[in-house]
Amino acid sequence: MALRVDGVPPTKVKATLRPQMSGAESRVGLGPLTKGHTHMHRKWGLAAAAAAAALVLAACGGSSDGGDSSSSGGGGGGGEGDCPGADSFCIGLVTDTGKVDDKSFNQSAWEGALQAAQETGGYAKYIETVDPKDYENNINQFIQGGYDVIVTVGFLMGEATVTAAKANAGVAFIGVDQFQGEEVANLTGLVFNEDKAGYAAGYLAGLMTQTGKIGAVLGTDTVPPVVLFGEGYKAGALAANPAVDVTLVYHEPNNAFNDPEWGAAESKKQLEQGADIIFGAGGNTGNGALIEIAKAPGAGESTFCIGVDTDQFFTVPQAAKCLLTSAEKKLTLGTKDLIILAKDGKAPGGNFFGLTGLAPYHDTEAAVPDDVKKKVEEVIAGLDAGTIVTDVTLG
Amino acid sequence: MATTDPAQTDLGFTDPDPRRSGPLDRLPAIAIPVISVLLAFAIGGLLIWLQGVNPFRAYYVLFSSALGTPEGLLRVMEKSTPLILTGLAVTVGLRTGLFNIGAQGQLLVGAIGAAWAGYHFQLPMVVHLPFAIVFGMLCGAAWASIAGALRAYRHVSEVITTIMLNSIAIALVDYLASRPFKEPDQPISRTPLVADSATLPFFGPIPSGFILALLVAIFFGWFLVRTTQGFRFNTVGLNPSAARYAGIPVKGTILLAMAVSGGLAGLGGAVETLGITGRFEPAFNAGLGFDGITIALLARANPIATIPAALLVGTLRSGAATLQFQTGIEPEVVDVILAITLLFVSAPIVARLLFRKRNVKQTTVTSGWGS
Repeated sequence: MALRVDGVPPTKVKATLRPQMSGAESRVGLGPLTKGHTHMHRKWGLAAAAAAAALVLAACGGSSDGGDSSSSGGGGGGGEGDCPGADSFCIGLVTDTGKVDDKSFNQSAWEGALQAAQETGGYAKYIETVDPKDYENNINQFIQGGYDVIVTVGFLMGEATVTAAKANAGVAFIGVDQFQGEEVANLTGLVFNEDKAGYAAGYLAGLMTQTGKIGAVLGTDTVPPVVLFGEGYKAGALAANPAVDVTLVYHEPNNAFNDPEWGAAESKKQLEQGADIIFGAGGNTGNGALIEIAKAPGAGESTFCIGVDTDQFFTVPQAAKCLLTSAEKKLTLGTKDLIILAKDGKAPGGNFFGLTGLAPYHDTEAAVPDDVKKKVEEVIAGLDAGTIVTDVTLG
Repeated sequence: MATTDPAQTDLGFTDPDPRRSGPLDRLPAIAIPVISVLLAFAIGGLLIWLQGVNPFRAYYVLFSSALGTPEGLLRVMEKSTPLILTGLAVTVGLRTGLFNIGAQGQLLVGAIGAAWAGYHFQLPMVVHLPFAIVFGMLCGAAWASIAGALRAYRHVSEVITTIMLNSIAIALVDYLASRPFKEPDQPISRTPLVADSATLPFFGPIPSGFILALLVAIFFGWFLVRTTQGFRFNTVGLNPSAARYAGIPVKGTILLAMAVSGGLAGLGGAVETLGITGRFEPAFNAGLGFDGITIALLARANPIATIPAALLVGTLRSGAATLQFQTGIEPEVVDVILAITLLFVSAPIVARLLFRKRNVKQTTVTSGWGS
């Protein structure tokens, strides 16, 4: 540490000996500071002048075409974003905070909107939400633009959607993954029985496991759909094979859906403990688990992973090798069907339960025996028909 | 070496007395941020043009949607309010030679503190509203004081501690919002709504939080230049050794400045909770504290200048959705423009730091005394 010189505390020594340490110019007192500033500023003034000159040049070069199009954009009374006319069918989609290519809900719902636009000859457009406080404003963009159907994605947007639907009875709203507590006539919540999807995945895992141990790496247990997926998985596995050992791990609430490292570490742990099939459900956290399992020895032959929500063969191609299937919410199908119903004014108020199921086996097709495939198909049909119940309830 | 001097980060924002500056000094002080913004817009325009959209039309859409309608203007005011306050928070730190990167964490703590004070009590408005605001402010101040005390008494760099305290604050408020303060009987991690008696009212079309933020900015414009305590802040920022000789309690001043800085960020969170969101939810408030750093640097640590700087950022953020709706340009272009602006406004600081490094080399003999 610092030396003491003649009993003077080191800080005081520094004060007298090292005035230059604190700035470009000598700064013992307050006086010389202005001098330092002037010096700096003069230099910056020069740079500024050069930059300004460059800007002026750039502005001159671009000014001619700038004038043209700003008049076309501003003067038309409606820009490119507005619904082109009263006779066209316009679909607007507002994402939850995230992009339309998020490989998850936003993307699936947007694909549904695109398919619906194609089938109806309509027009679809999206706005990506950056700040959750802008939900209302982003929905209003489409309302003011004269859109016929507005799709909002994700349960966090539920309240903003209800408010907008109540205020705009003439517009049909579809709330993807938004459970409706009270019925609003022009708002349909597209929801899913996650326990059914989890049950089907668990049933398959229970039939497929060689070690008798399976696992699941899940988002937080404070979000009910995650719990339904997990408990459904467990119930399905036990229904297929009562002797199977099922381990469920939940992430802590903080950062629950965006912690791929944690997902990878937990899946590794479960593999080491002998699990040979692991279900990853929890956004990027679950995806981290899937990708880790794909790297394990025997991936796709003796070790498998199961994805969630959408067909993760396409959304997480890095995990394709181990991906047995995905516990799927048929989100694209549900969104498309509801939009088409809404076009004919037939979308029901309240909740609409979309179908769930399992995604195709893809690369692991050969690893699954035919009798297992058949049994799983029967179980999915039974779940859809209501003849099989998962017996999962939230505690 | 770094352990002995409690305040040696010279960021170039410690202006002891602007009244003494001549016109030559004033002009570049305004020119640097203005040119930085213009250059950032030029580069942003280039990016927009590369995506096949006319940049002039894109900027027209951006600004007209934000400033051309009453709803747009309201949103600009609402978005700028916390930004003015976090900008001021960073400014007060810079003036005292402290680089407070932790405004985000202080804002979160202030936001959830105000939410708790707002929903947990039933009081008449004349008591409840000021109490909730002040409580949020104190939460932010207390949070920043951890870094302030570590800096003043243990010589730990506030840059490091405030960054680390941001992460801790995020974890803390997530825990509070999902467990003890959680609104019961619903799945989302969030607090209950604050009582009406703790909700910031409107003055006609203007949210009172915005007025409060303006008044606070003006107050600090006066405080930092015209008061003894403001002079102490500036002097400690300029030269802590000289400040010590002048009889200024340097450690106490650092701690106080950090607390004031955190209090301002906490106030930003409180105003956001009580005026805009009505409750605390972890996803709200994202990035407000970090925008405060951009704003303070853009304002050259001038409290009054944080107002236009925050309005600029608020306008950009407010118009981003319409920009995508009308032109297809992704809203992140705003972040790109702000990042480039930050790069340009901080270029003088980088230059200064490099300049200082060279000086250090020349004075290795003298600096050897201190280490």
